[in-house]
Amino acid sequence: MTNVQIAVHTNAATPEPASAAKLTTRNLNFYYGDFLALKDINMVVPEKRVTALIGPSGCGKSTLLRIFNKIYAIYPKQRAEGEIILDGQNLLDPRYPINRLRSKVGMVFQKPVPFPMSIYDNVAYGISHYERLKKPAMDERVEGALRQAALWDEVKDKLKQSALGLSGGQQQRLCIARAVALKPEVILFDEPTSALDPIATGKIEQLIAELKRQFTILIVTHNMQQAARCSDYTAFMYLGEMVEHGSTQQIFTKPSKQQTEDYITGRFG
Amino acid sequence: MDAIASERLYRRRRLTNGLALVLSGVAAIVGLFFLGWILFTTLDRGIDGLSLAMFTEMTPPPGAPLGVGGLLNAIVGSIVMCTMAVLMAAPIGIAAGTYLAEYANYTKTGTVIRFVNDILLSAPSIVLGLFVFVVLIGMPRQIGNALQDTTAGQAGGWLEGMADWLIDISGFSGFAGAVALGFIVLPVVVRTTDEMLRLVPIQMREAALSLGVPQWKVISKVLYRAALSGILTGVMLGLARISGETAPLLFTAFNNSFWNVDLGAPMANLPVTIYQFAMSPFENWQLLAWAGAFLITCFVLLVSVLARFLLLRKKMNHD
Amino acid sequence: MAVPAEHLDRLARGDARADRLFRWSVAAAGFFVLIGLVGAAVTMAWGGREAFATFGFGFITSDHWDPGNLIFGGLAPIVGTLITAGIALLIAVPVSFGIAIFLTEVAPPWLRNPVGTAIELLAGIPSIIYGMWGLFVLVPFLAEHVYPTLSRTVSQWPIIGPWFDGPPIGIGMLTAGIVLSIMIIPFIASVMREVFLTVPSRLKESAYALGSTTFEVVWNIVLPYTRSAVIGGIFLGLGRALGETMAVTFVLGNANRLANLLEPSSSIAATIANEFGEAFADLHRSSLLALGFVLFMVTFVVLSIAKLMLMSLHRREGN
Repeated sequence: MTNVQIAVHTNAATPEPASAAKLTTRNLNFYYGDFLALKDINMVVPEKRVTALIGPSGCGKSTLLRIFNKIYAIYPKQRAEGEIILDGQNLLDPRYPINRLRSKVGMVFQKPVPFPMSIYDNVAYGISHYERLKKPAMDERVEGALRQAALWDEVKDKLKQSALGLSGGQQQRLCIARAVALKPEVILFDEPTSALDPIATGKIEQLIAELKRQFTILIVTHNMQQAARCSDYTAFMYLGEMVEHGSTQQIFTKPSKQQTEDYITGRFG
Repeated sequence: MDAIASERLYRRRRLTNGLALVLSGVAAIVGLFFLGWILFTTLDRGIDGLSLAMFTEMTPPPGAPLGVGGLLNAIVGSIVMCTMAVLMAAPIGIAAGTYLAEYANYTKTGTVIRFVNDILLSAPSIVLGLFVFVVLIGMPRQIGNALQDTTAGQAGGWLEGMADWLIDISGFSGFAGAVALGFIVLPVVVRTTDEMLRLVPIQMREAALSLGVPQWKVISKVLYRAALSGILTGVMLGLARISGETAPLLFTAFNNSFWNVDLGAPMANLPVTIYQFAMSPFENWQLLAWAGAFLITCFVLLVSVLARFLLLRKKMNHD
Repeated sequence: MAVPAEHLDRLARGDARADRLFRWSVAAAGFFVLIGLVGAAVTMAWGGREAFATFGFGFITSDHWDPGNLIFGGLAPIVGTLITAGIALLIAVPVSFGIAIFLTEVAPPWLRNPVGTAIELLAGIPSIIYGMWGLFVLVPFLAEHVYPTLSRTVSQWPIIGPWFDGPPIGIGMLTAGIVLSIMIIPFIASVMREVFLTVPSRLKESAYALGSTTFEVVWNIVLPYTRSAVIGGIFLGLGRALGETMAVTFVLGNANRLANLLEPSSSIAATIANEFGEAFADLHRSSLLALGFVLFMVTFVVLSIAKLMLMSLHRREGN
């Protein structure tokens, strides 16, 4: 396979050193009713790095992402088979308590969905379910989460105002604050910037680069350039199968599968 | 087709069209005309009987001079029963609507309950009144009588006590009236709650659940908040509906010419009072009937307009 | 997460318990709605069993209603209910249709909302107001200006003549039908309007592009597309008209006999309303409950048909 010259900016100027696997999937299959949507997925999500899932529409990347926090479980016709190992335990084991899973694995959705309450209450919502904190302690946690989401300066004077008054980009950062408030270990991002304008997108991407110092990040994006900009590792999916995964630099400059190369160079999309 | 024939056809089509449009406008005018006529009549005749005394004095005896007496006991009775009806039916209705939207959506059970609920919504209110009568008044009396017959001669014993109690409670009562009205409010609240909850975007549910919060908390702390104004609209529409209902009260609360706030006894209420007074040949009673009709109409229109205004604001927020 | 694992596990168990409890409660509320409808049907049937047993099929076919001698044949009220509802539909359907067309195709956009809201307000007016307006305003009007001519001229016509051969005192099934029609116009009109709005605009636009007039688009495109839902809306109005009590009790005249359109007559709901309070004989009560059962069953069938027809349009939309 020849070297592919692509004018793609990877953040591979100083590639990150390899890190341990945080999440490992083994023989993962996913069904919508009788339809096999994901076939035999085996991949590794390295710790404290950004891993991007890319692929054309309908390839299953969002489906795969949503298995990691078992959000598919609220729909009766959907089920997963196989294993996802997190810290030595299989997440898909029915005995693994769901709330422990969701406190370790947080999620940010495509469309910013602030709850119909104040900004403060939005962030405190998740925390208050798990911990009984007195006001000063809770204030500290809320502030910490908002700072981590790079939103504190913009909202510190209006914490009691409704979250619905924020702009789209601010709402999305609020959702990120909501997720990091629970101090998870992994954060899943499902096309987090596809509903936002370029400036807001840039801020979120910057934020993700910061967040990876503390959290393992798995992000689904249909925007290849975004994957190249933000991620350390990339996984390419097509028609429910994991075609190839490796470091972003390798995937974008020396893909080992023809399909990957075709997608990257825009021969199909 | 030659030119003349096609011209003629075209003209006929234009004529038919014009006629149809004019007729549709006429239909709208007819509808508005009757609305205006009815409202005007109520205003015109009701205002004559309107006075402060209406709110401070009780219903007068028939044939009393005009201006004597008011509708106080009827107004208070209606307020009491409508409030009770809403307090009883709204929680059940909201819970049932929650079940339909969150747990039974897209299931067969859900479809059946929704179907039945919609039928209940349009069912004849007199039938609902009869239903409550039989369950709360008719049957207890029959059972009580039967029990009394069987324990006749044997003094004391808990069976006789039960028989006495059953016969005691089996009379017209404000409580029975409130229950009958409650059955009219119930399907309204169920339907609005169901629809309003389904309007909340699915991502909000997923976002709340992703935090590890259990479903019941997601529903009560997030979804209810999001659908609050819609649910309140449903309750208000239910209230507007029952404030004018007469038939279900005829055999449950019946009526009372005196002051009574005891839910265990017949309770005065506006609609039945209006019915009695209007059908009577007494002028003072008829005047009060119109005043009462005016009052009810004002209340119903006010609440309906408020409820629709709330709903409109909610729809605008969502888009 | 800063929270220790055992705490998480305890929390998880508590959450699961709370979720189960919540789910059970809302499901119970959902099933309570079923109880409402089933209960109404069962109590009517149970209460009426004595009458059905005593009179058998004759209960529905005989018009001999004699409380004094405890003979009850319910044909007159049943016929009265059907005829008044039929007249109401005859008048209301074309008018509602006209209004719906006006609101969706004819009226300029700024006029649509106000007129639409006004028509809906008509639906909110309590039926007792309709009854009073009917008795005190419409009846004298008809008795003075319309019925004398009507009974003089139309009663001479073949076939339908005898129907109009009555004293022009203003009450009777025709008046009741008119009052009912005004009541159900807003229901049918609003269902039709909602249904017309679901027609995809591209269908209408392509017809307009071919040069169709507004009327032709409505007649050839909108109506066929929405046919079953329109019928559903009509049946909904019919269901309401069948069960109405107060609007007709005032103007029917309470005469339990088969009558023509201009004579005092009766309907099921009116009979129950008028007689139940003083029906002390068991058979009398039972007969009235049996009538209630008949009414309930008829409205149940009508409303079910309405719902099924409306659902078919919903399914086509992909709801």
